[in-house]
Parts: sequence; C-alpha cells; structure tokens
Amino acid sequence: MMPLILANNGEENIIRKVGGSADVKKHLEDMGFVAGGTVTVLNTINGNLIVKVKESRVAISREMAGKIMI
Amino acid sequence: MDKQIRIALAGNPNSGKTTLFNALTGTQQFVGNWPGVTVEKKEGRVRGQKDVNVTDLPGIYSLSPYTLEEVVARNYLIEERPDVILNIVDATNLERNLYLTTQLVELGIPVVIALNMMDLVKKNGDSINVEELSRELGCRIVEISALKGDGVDEVVSACVEAANGTKTVPQHSFSGSVEHALAHIEESAVHDLPEEQQRWYAIKIFERDDKALARLDLPEKTLAHIEEDIKAAEKELDDDAESIITNERYVYIANLMKGCYKKKNKGELTVSDKIDKIVTNRILALPIFALVMFLVYALAMGKSISDGGIAIGTFLTDTANDVLGDAWLKEGSRAILEGWGVAPWLIGLISDGILAGVGAVLGFVPQMLVLFFMLCLLEDCGYMARIAFIMDRIFRRFGLSGKSFIPMLVATGCGIPGVMASRTIENERDRRMTITTTTFMPCGAKLPVIGLIAGALFGGSTWVATSAYFIGIAAIVVSGIMLKKTKMFAGDPAPFVMELPAYHAPAMGNVLRGTWERGWSFIKRAGTVIVLSSIIIWFLTSFGPVNGRFGMVDELYEDETVVTEEYVASVSERMGIPEDEVEPMDDSILARVAQPVSVIFKPLGFGDWKPTVATVTGLVAKENVVGTFGVLYAYDDQDGEEELEENGDQIWDKVAEDYRDFSGGHGKLAAYSFLLFNLLCAPCFAAIGAIKREMNSRKWTWFAIGYQCGFAWVTAFIVWQLGRLFAGGANVIGLVLAVVLLGLFIWQLFKPYKEARTLKV
Repeated sequence: MMPLILANNGEENIIRKVGGSADVKKHLEDMGFVAGGTVTVLNTINGNLIVKVKESRVAISREMAGKIMI
Repeated sequence: MDKQIRIALAGNPNSGKTTLFNALTGTQQFVGNWPGVTVEKKEGRVRGQKDVNVTDLPGIYSLSPYTLEEVVARNYLIEERPDVILNIVDATNLERNLYLTTQLVELGIPVVIALNMMDLVKKNGDSINVEELSRELGCRIVEISALKGDGVDEVVSACVEAANGTKTVPQHSFSGSVEHALAHIEESAVHDLPEEQQRWYAIKIFERDDKALARLDLPEKTLAHIEEDIKAAEKELDDDAESIITNERYVYIANLMKGCYKKKNKGELTVSDKIDKIVTNRILALPIFALVMFLVYALAMGKSISDGGIAIGTFLTDTANDVLGDAWLKEGSRAILEGWGVAPWLIGLISDGILAGVGAVLGFVPQMLVLFFMLCLLEDCGYMARIAFIMDRIFRRFGLSGKSFIPMLVATGCGIPGVMASRTIENERDRRMTITTTTFMPCGAKLPVIGLIAGALFGGSTWVATSAYFIGIAAIVVSGIMLKKTKMFAGDPAPFVMELPAYHAPAMGNVLRGTWERGWSFIKRAGTVIVLSSIIIWFLTSFGPVNGRFGMVDELYEDETVVTEEYVASVSERMGIPEDEVEPMDDSILARVAQPVSVIFKPLGFGDWKPTVATVTGLVAKENVVGTFGVLYAYDDQDGEEELEENGDQIWDKVAEDYRDFSGGHGKLAAYSFLLFNLLCAPCFAAIGAIKREMNSRKWTWFAIGYQCGFAWVTAFIVWQLGRLFAGGANVIGLVLAVVLLGLFIWQLFKPYKEARTLKV
C-alpha cells in the first residue's frame, strides 16, 4: 500500500483504503474514492493532482491525496 | 388538478442541474437564500403548468451531514417533504451519480430520474439499458438533454404522475448483518414514524448521523441497545458503520451497472483530458492562466476602445457615466425639477444627492456586465474550476484557497461583486478571510482618488498608480499570513477536493442568464445602499447650526443678521482657516463632526477636517473623495469631479498647498499616507452591505470593517512616521511607536505557525 501521491501518471490503480477524519473520509467516499474502486492520476502540478475516479475528473490537493492508499 | 405539486430538483454538481432548472422554469424564477445560510435558493414555476413548482436544491454528492449544501438539501427533503424528487443524473458519469440516487429513493418520496447527456453516451458508442435500470431502481427514468431542451416536457408529466402515484420504495438491500441491525433499529426506534420514512431514519441511526439523531431525540436506553447492534455489524465487516453503508451502496451500483451499462472503449483519454494536458500542464498552466486573465481584464477594465485599447467594458462605462450619470440623471433631473418649480433644497437632495450617487454606481454596470459575462463564460466552459486548482498551491502559502482568486480579480473592478463572488468558497474560514481582504484591491472607484493624489502632488507619476495595485496585493498577502496565525483563523487549511467538469462549448443561454443574475443583484444591492447613504451625507453636508439657528447652511449664510462678522471670526478660529475662506459648509454637521474626528488622522499626517470629510464621503462611494475635494477646494463652482479635471491645475495646487501647510512641509508624504489609508480602509457602504450579507453575521462584519480600518491606520502611521525620518523632522514618540508596530508586523509575519500547517486528516 502506498499513498496516491506516489502513483505514476496514467496508471490505473485500485484504491485499498481511504483514511482521514470522519468527515474528510466521508466526503472522499461520496465523491467516488472508495476502497475497491479504481483511480488514475492524469496530471500533477506542484504536488496537487488531477485524477480520474469513476467517470469524473477530480482535482485534489497533496494533503488529501496522501490519505488515499493504493 | 387542484393540488399544488412541489418538485425538488436534486443532483450532483456539474450534472446539468441549473440548465434543466432553467429549461423547466424559463423566466419564472425567484432567487433567494436558504434561511440562515448563504447558500443560494432558487424556486420557480414550471413553464405552462399553473400548479407545479420546482425548488432547485444545492448540487450535492450525498445526503451526509458534512457540507452546508448537503445539510440544506436534506433538511428541505425531510422537513418540507416535497411531492416528488426529480433527480438529474449525468449518464456519462452514471456510477457516481447513482450513489446519490440510492440515498434519495430511501426518503419515501416519489423519485423521477432525468437521465441527462444520453446523447454523449451514445456518441461514445456506449449504451445504457434504461428500462432495466428503471426496473432495478424502482423509479421512472426519462432520457433528456437539458442543453437542447429535449425531453423536458416528458419529465414534467412524469413528475406530475409520480406525485399522484405511489411512493418510491428502495430496491437495494445491504448485507445480512447490516440489514439485521437495521431491522432492530426500525423496530425499537422509528416504528412510530410514518412507514415510508422509517428506512431512511434507520439507516441514518446506523450511520450514527448526529443531526438525524438529534432530530429523533431517542431515549438513552434505546440508543445503548442500538449501539450494540451497530458494533456487532462493524465487528463483522471490519469497518466503521458509515463506511460500511457507503461501500455497500457502491457495490450495489457496480452490480447494477454490469447489467445495464455497456461500455465500448475503456481507459482512453477524452478530448477534455487532452485539453487538460495542456491547460493544467506543469509549465504552461500559469502562462495560459495569465493570458486568459489578461484578456478578461483588458476587455472589461483596461484601456477604452475610444483610447485605442480593447476594453469594451471601460468604453461602455465611460459612455454611461457621461450620458446617464451626468447628463440625464444629474443635469437632466435638475432641469426638469427646476421647470416644475421644486424648492432648491429638494432639487439639491434629488439631483446632487440621490441621483448623482445612484448614477455613479449605475455607471459601473456596463463594465460589470462585461466582466460578469466573461467570468460566466469561463465558468460555463469549465475553465473556472481549473483556475482554482492552478492557483491553490500559491494562495495556500498565505492562508487562502485557490478559489479566493476570482473574488480578488473581480474586486479590481468593483468590491461588491468581488465580495459576492466569495460565495463559491465552501470553507467558512477561507470565505471570511477572502471577504475581509478582497476589498484591499484598488477598485474602479478608487482609481480617480489615486489619479487625484498622483496628479496633485506627484506630477502625475505613474508609479503612484502602480504602487496602489502592489499595495493592494501586498495587503492581502500580509493580512492572509498574519490572520492565519491568529486564533480566529488558525487551523488546518481547507482540504482541496473539487470536481473538474469536462470542457464543453458554453451554452449562451446559461451564460447570459448568469450574467444578468449577477448584474441585477449588483444593481439592487448597490442601488439601495447608495440611495440611503447619499441622502444622509447630503443632509450632513447641507445642514447645520449657524450662529444659534439650524437650517440649510447655504441659505443661512445669505442672511447677514445671522452670519455676523464676529461669527465669521469665531468660525475661522474654530476651523483654523483665514476669515475670507470661511464657507457655508464649514458650519455643516459633517464639518463640525469631522473637525474633532480629524484628530484620529493627526498621527497619519493628514489630521485636517477636509481630508477627514473626504474620507467619510468616500464611504458612500470612493470616487466621492475626489468630488469632495472638488467641493471643498473649488469654492466658486461646486460641480465636483468634472470641474476638478478641467480646472485641475488650479485645484491641485490648492490641494498641494493645503497638504504642505497642515503637514508641516511634508505634503507628498502626507498625501501618500492619505492615499494609503483610503485605499485600505473600510470600502464604500454598498460593499460593506455586501460584506454583511456574505458574512451573514454582525460580529464578523464588524470584525472585517475593524480590521480593514485598523490595518489601514497602522500602515499609514508607519509610512508617515518613518517617512519623516528620511525627510527630516521626525517625531520621536511617533517614530518609536512606528518602529514597534512595524516590528509587530514582521514578528507576526515570520513567527512560526502554532498549529501544524499540514492537514489533520
């Protein structure tokens, strides 16, 4: 398991675990970051990421991406 | 049909909800706020249907209690219980959208699904078995294209039918141990509720949703009993209750998708992804962004077309100001009223007070509309979300979020829409910080003030204007860093997670509607506040006690029995001016109040009543500062700004002379200090009104105004006191204090953050 920030661009990964405080975790899960689902990093800029999760594109900060384990 | 039908429109952000709402209602819309919060509420009557109303709920991903939007939406659904929920679902992102649907169907309210963007799904070569999906979910599905307006009528009739039909029953179930716990909860805690509501409450109790629990107010014993069941389920599935439910919803949807969704190609980059590869590219992102912003700025607020620039906005606003503001409203109304034989004081109030004030603000409208149009365009095509993303890391360094950028950009035109634009920032702390600091940017109305000071004392030097922008930005950065270290704003930076909608060609209907909504809101807000404050300021400058008699100072001064020579002498002594310069206005309430108040500005180098009055009238509208100088210095003709520009040199000389006199020879420094204070202090009343509305709290409004004025005072103080050190003739006490204050500034700027800067997630 490693945090999402370490994933390579363009690689599809399976989410193993979503961490963080209750509300952050729930918010991530509501947006589609759920264990067992897939996530693909499309782009990185200064540590922030653009990822593909389900069919949507989500911009996510480095701090948040660190809570998503793949 | 006698019954009123209430439809609640629910869906994910970026699912085409607003477009569908507009298609449903046409022009029959009422925009307001949800009670107690600054989340926009839109209601409307369905086109061609007398008894069908639709309420647009905020865009949400879930019915969890964590964001303001979600709480607002679910409170409406639980408390108001609309007759039917119209759930708009983005077919290109079915899985994530259905996650909300699984929660909506549990409420026990009939649900109709509007499946949007099916045309795009088909274009991609994918297919969705709508009949199968409808059967599985247990509710009617209508395929629509909100953008083209296809299927909207069918949606309406499906809603009407559903409202008169049976309640939607959720078709999905959770795993054995969860259902076991849910059954227990239903039996012990919620069986007094109407049957169709039991399921939703049972699930919320299972999730330990504190807001739902507070609503139910269950006895301790029942709660303890339920807790055992929840714990058992958590132990068996090795996760917390909330995540169990979330995961099982997704698992259910994944299974559902297998049966009804056929995807042709997988993992290929869409056109939107390819655009993002360039636009949010590590190297190109900032230059592209700068170019776009430059274009927006140049078109709306740059050099006017008539001066060889490309700014349509400036051109229109200049024209509106000349024609509407001065010619029609001010002079036109004066001519008409004089023709009617209206009393001169009333003409003064209406023409010079109210209409001139309103005209000044209305003059900004064309420019604002151009700006809003372009911002709506950027928003509709999907670029706006990227801006927030690109700017986030930079803004984060000084305690703001990427979403703070837009308010600040807009504020360079006008602070009111700037403050209004802060609404898109979800995090309350970030929003408050943005509202407090955004009016530091020099707005359009401050430009004449900068021009006046630059022209009068600095020979029209351009660095004064340039420095004004630099000061605005510096004030925001410095304030951001300093405030973030105070208790009120301390804490973790708001985590940044934001959906980026796919790029698409902007829909003109949406853009124009959005432009008009914002523009109208600006006109209303600015208009009402300006009318009120113009009346007050006009009254305060026109009336006052003269030698024991109270009335219009202009009239009383014509009466020589009132204004005797001794009286003139006493006024000249009070105001500290030569006898031949005593003016009716010196006896106005404003001058009388300003004289003692001006003591506040003594340490800033401009403790004279005239700059004080100008500062106060600047609260009505910043460009009034110039007008007031015009009135105060150009005794023979009192037309203000226009005259000031024409007879500029003469008046500027007077201003410069005056500044030299009261500042003890440091005219430039005092003028710059005056400029600093006026740039940074509280904005005009209309903008303060906007701050109050967006803060939605008296305490925070006062905090914002207090902070702005305090920051302005301290900055001007430091500049004036330290400046005199270099110019010679420093005041020792002032100098020491200035150094101490500067030290505190620097200390606050560089001291480490008390709390961890990293996210506590």
